[in-house]
Amino acid sequence: MVETATPEVSPGIITEPEEKSRSGLEPGFLVICWNDPVNFMDYVTHVFQQVFGWPRKKAEYHMLQVHEQGKSVLTRESMEKAEHYVHQLQRYSLHATMERDQ
Amino acid sequence: MKIFRAGDKFIFEVGSREKHLLLDVLRLYPLIPAAHHLEKSHRSPDSSQKLLDEALAEQRAENKKQIESFLAEPGRFEKTEAGWKFSPSSTELEWLLQVLNDIRVGSWINLGSPEDKLDLRLMNKETAPHLWAMEIAGAFQMQMLEALKG
Repeated sequence: MVETATPEVSPGIITEPEEKSRSGLEPGFLVICWNDPVNFMDYVTHVFQQVFGWPRKKAEYHMLQVHEQGKSVLTRESMEKAEHYVHQLQRYSLHATMERDQ
Repeated sequence: MKIFRAGDKFIFEVGSREKHLLLDVLRLYPLIPAAHHLEKSHRSPDSSQKLLDEALAEQRAENKKQIESFLAEPGRFEKTEAGWKFSPSSTELEWLLQVLNDIRVGSWINLGSPEDKLDLRLMNKETAPHLWAMEIAGAFQMQMLEALKG
């Protein structure tokens, strides 16, 4: 990811929404965004805000995770919803995939 | 170039050269090869990826049509004393960002997907247009992202 600015983000204060129950009948699918050396950091943050409706701080937290750790698990959803999110992220030319949560 | 927000609209104030640069770069869409997502190593389940690829191809065709009408629409750009003005809605701005990013990423792929900063000494008449498109698309994107941040 191409650095555009260094946002001040404290991962420690990010409160992730409570995990959905894993005991449901519908298997969970993880939506993953992978790092690439071309997309601007600000662009990735903006895309996360648009696609997931996240506040800027949360979007920046996941953007930095992609940038520093190579990937970020963005959400766990039903197959249909996960496909929807992957499609949305790919529309913005981000490298996004889904995989079954083990 | 100046971009600022006015309610649901964004006002672009551009000089004549910037207007030409924007239109020239938009004409390059799409640049990301259709098979690009297929080549990536981390794949979604095959059946769903096929559907996603089809949806993506439809989207790109739709974007291409939209660009053609964007470029052809009379009155899209309004002449001002300092240059030109146009006012895309928030939805149109999102679409412009997607299109410009396709051009930027596609140009980067055409340059061989370099991991590090480009060595300008390696530029030649084949590679220079890709670098030009990547830089111009990126410059417009950055301005738009700044305007979106407020």
